[in-house]
Amino acid sequence: MVVASGASGEPRPETAPPLVEVEHLSYRYRRAAEPAIRDVSLAVHPGEVVLVAGPSGCGKSTLIRAINGLIPHAYSGELAGAVLVEGRLTTELKLRDIARTVGTVLQDPAKQIVGSMVESELAFGPENFGVPREEIAERIREVASQAGIEALLGRETAALSGGERQLLAMAAILMMRPRLFVVDEPLANLDPATAERLLTLLRALADEGSAIVIVEHRVEEALALAPDRVLYLDEGRTRYLGSVDGFLDVADPSAVRLPFAVVAKRAAMAPAEPDSSRGAEPAVKGPAPADAAPRLEFRGVTAAIGGTQILRGVDARLGPAEVVAVLGPNGSGKTTLFRTAMRLLDITGGSILVDGVSHAGRRTAELATEFGYVFQSPSQMLFARTVEDELLFGPRNLGRDPATFDELVADSLRRTALHELDDIRSRPPLALSFGQQKRLALAIALALRPETLILDEPSAGQDHRTAEAFMREVLAIPGLRSLYLVTHDVDLALTHADRILLFREGRVVADGPPKVVIADTARWTACNLRSTSLMEANKAWGPAAGPFLDADTLARRLAAQRPTARSGPGREAEGVDC
Amino acid sequence: MSAISMDRRNNLWEVTSRTIVYAAIGAALYGILLVAQLPIPGSTVSVRPAFAIVPFFGYAFGPIVGFFTGFVGNAIGDQISGWGALTSWNWSIANGLVGLIAGLAPLYLQRWVNGSTRDRAIGGAIAGVIAVLIGFLFVFTDNILQGLDIATIFSTLYVPVVVGDLIGTIILVPILVYAWEPVKAQLGR
Amino acid sequence: MNIAPRYLGRGSWLARRDPRVLILVVFFFIFTVLQIWDARLVFGLLIISVIYYRTAAIPWAQIRRNWTVVFLFIGMLVTVNMLVAGGNVEAMPEGEPDVLFYFPLLGTPISAQSVSLAVTQFLRYLAMATIGFPVAFAIAPSDFGVAFRRLGVPEKFAFGIDLTFRFLPSLSADFQSTVDAQRIRGFDWSAGATGFLTRVRRSTPVIVPTVVNAIAGAEDTIDAMDLRGFGTGRRTWLRLLVYDREDWLVLGFFVALLVAATLGGFLGTSDELWTPQFLIDIAQG
Repeated sequence: MVVASGASGEPRPETAPPLVEVEHLSYRYRRAAEPAIRDVSLAVHPGEVVLVAGPSGCGKSTLIRAINGLIPHAYSGELAGAVLVEGRLTTELKLRDIARTVGTVLQDPAKQIVGSMVESELAFGPENFGVPREEIAERIREVASQAGIEALLGRETAALSGGERQLLAMAAILMMRPRLFVVDEPLANLDPATAERLLTLLRALADEGSAIVIVEHRVEEALALAPDRVLYLDEGRTRYLGSVDGFLDVADPSAVRLPFAVVAKRAAMAPAEPDSSRGAEPAVKGPAPADAAPRLEFRGVTAAIGGTQILRGVDARLGPAEVVAVLGPNGSGKTTLFRTAMRLLDITGGSILVDGVSHAGRRTAELATEFGYVFQSPSQMLFARTVEDELLFGPRNLGRDPATFDELVADSLRRTALHELDDIRSRPPLALSFGQQKRLALAIALALRPETLILDEPSAGQDHRTAEAFMREVLAIPGLRSLYLVTHDVDLALTHADRILLFREGRVVADGPPKVVIADTARWTACNLRSTSLMEANKAWGPAAGPFLDADTLARRLAAQRPTARSGPGREAEGVDC
Repeated sequence: MSAISMDRRNNLWEVTSRTIVYAAIGAALYGILLVAQLPIPGSTVSVRPAFAIVPFFGYAFGPIVGFFTGFVGNAIGDQISGWGALTSWNWSIANGLVGLIAGLAPLYLQRWVNGSTRDRAIGGAIAGVIAVLIGFLFVFTDNILQGLDIATIFSTLYVPVVVGDLIGTIILVPILVYAWEPVKAQLGR
Repeated sequence: MNIAPRYLGRGSWLARRDPRVLILVVFFFIFTVLQIWDARLVFGLLIISVIYYRTAAIPWAQIRRNWTVVFLFIGMLVTVNMLVAGGNVEAMPEGEPDVLFYFPLLGTPISAQSVSLAVTQFLRYLAMATIGFPVAFAIAPSDFGVAFRRLGVPEKFAFGIDLTFRFLPSLSADFQSTVDAQRIRGFDWSAGATGFLTRVRRSTPVIVPTVVNAIAGAEDTIDAMDLRGFGTGRRTWLRLLVYDREDWLVLGFFVALLVAATLGGFLGTSDELWTPQFLIDIAQG
């Protein structure tokens, strides 16, 4: 454990007692073999912002539950150490009493929202506490203005966008007037504009004397909040607790997403290593020659959902041997594009060609043998008793020859590295971990032997490190020739795609290699996309064509090129970051 | 009465946030699947695979969740299809009773409920069958409410509904128990 | 597929009533109709229900299909009841029925009385359905929880009703994406499966993932409720329901109707079947 010393690492001298004190906390869930966190200590004072960073499974969620009282009140397990809220042990308080001090914004706002209407969601907490009706109405007015969501009043929560939901979830906690806000990965699905609003709101709360505990692995974005301290967790243990500067010196760039300047500086200081391109060569290779016949072509495609026009004349050609990422704001038609390609949604105009032939006469399942379509959430299609049955569901429906099944299953499992798990064929699919289910979803798509995969939001529900690893696995699948993906993760798209299709309001507004597409900053911003430091660094020093380099590779390359740290890229990169 | 069975009794009727969330999810799912599968409002006379949700929710989460799932789910199904949530309120109660009776399985099927996954799956089917046969007796109130003859109710309402729902229950409840058990174990509370 | 309550009567006179009124009226009216077997009086009740229904201003074009189904369903039930049971109902008058003819195959006597009974039943059913429709189209979905709470339903369950409406759109979207995911695997769920067993078995690929994911996804919602003190004490409801004068008038009217029906049964003949003379004449040749 590294604890920074010195003035910046310590909380400012406070006269106010801490709102929350976590003392040598360890916790093991009832059914788990190992503790989820071990010997973690943290005190949070009024006016402080504490960033808790770390990769998935580092113990962040457990720490949050210990602070807000769900541990020990809603979870059973073994607790050692103590958590005090305003000086009282959480074990001796009721959840209701803890909630008066600690307000929690959960990771997935869609699940936190319990009201059908925006007002009923806002009112929910105060209603449960028996706050008089007039006062609730008054608070709704205040909070709506404070959170900037007046425009949402009177709307149904089901009709809100992801960003609006996140703001509403935050506002619903504001309604309860806690003194400490615990916010779990609030930036996961936010466009830059909404993220900025949320961060500004949190900063203002801290400046007015509330305390904020923000849990994020998107460190680059969270730093905008100017946290007073950072708690860096990995595998349930404290790796660091102290100032931001000290944290940036010790954080692992593959575990949390750091600003590129930091990565570059660290690479420059590290002993020079040859540019180690990691893993095997990707199976999906390079952009196709410009004259190659497209595998999937959209000609003036229009489509509507429930009377709302979503695609407004899309022209696009996707090649047989390339990685294409579709980027754009929510509701711009990215996902709808591929739903029409798979005939999950009928087009209202134009045509779609597969290998030069209109796909109008083909069934969805036939198209799935050309394009393996992988949905965002893997579990939503799993139903069979065993993995083997799950894999064979498609081939059986399509009337494939049963004699080939054994080889087909073996092959699909091998290509997705699932064969490494014991008894994988007979395991119940729904009992697999999230990561394993994601790979199973790939295997299911591959069982129909497509040459192309279409991935819808491959990084959903995963942190930076696992999403990166997943993409590398996908690109290394043998026999796969092309990959099309829909994503809102800018860095993921830019570092893996040969070509970017930029969507806005149902049209393609840009089409080309990453470097070309990001060149027009105004257009990029208009699509509500984030300008990441990695993107800027690639713009300055990255390759002219093809996918961008990931932070680590680019940083190493720069360090190798100019080995002196003083005049080297570290400083320039820092300049870029600012 | 032993302390253990006292505990179980308390658990069976306890109402927590969990109870209410499961109940609302069960009712919403039942309502949605009713409408998705059966575009005939108010009519309960058809094969409705979705019906298995009612005994399953009762069996898996207790009599309160089961009653709410059946009662509110049927009313919501009627509501969405336009029949009106309350017009066939006695049918909603019948549905609710099915969930309730399935949820009481720990009182009459201890051996199955406390056994292996296989036992629990079979127990679910048995509880479902008992619940369907008894719960739908409540539709005989149509004799008073609609002035329908007992023989008519028996032949045109009770038998077709019960037969259809029994098939759904016997096949789907065990499948749902098998699918749910490993997921439940992972939630780890 | 659009699975959501349709609040078509929004803004109408009936929709502006306290939602409790619409709920109570259904029960008052159903128990009124129950007690009346004289078709002339039932017809009067039907007129009342239609007038009441009209105040909800539900656009006809959007619910024509619902009405068609209601007519078919009621017609089917009543006809079967007549053909199978031939009118063995306690409401039937004493004495020998005036038989018109015997139904082929079943041999059920079709009499002046059993025809009258069928017509009366049809009108009764129709009147009840008409009174029930506005509950579907003229109550704001978000008002159900508080309305039932104020009618005495325990707090947690009343909120459970609200929560059910909250889950409808998200779960039906999840359901739709499961259907899509399986279509990609060559499984067309909506394709006509005929047999009982086939149809049930074929539903597992869509029902199982939908149900299991919905339950597994409930954990966060449960936490979100616990963290905001749900169920830990008496709660207030933001929505305030107050009966106004018109609400009281509507309620008073339907209560009066119920009282009149009850008295009519004791004092008069409103609870006895009325058979038009011309039908008896036909039967008696």
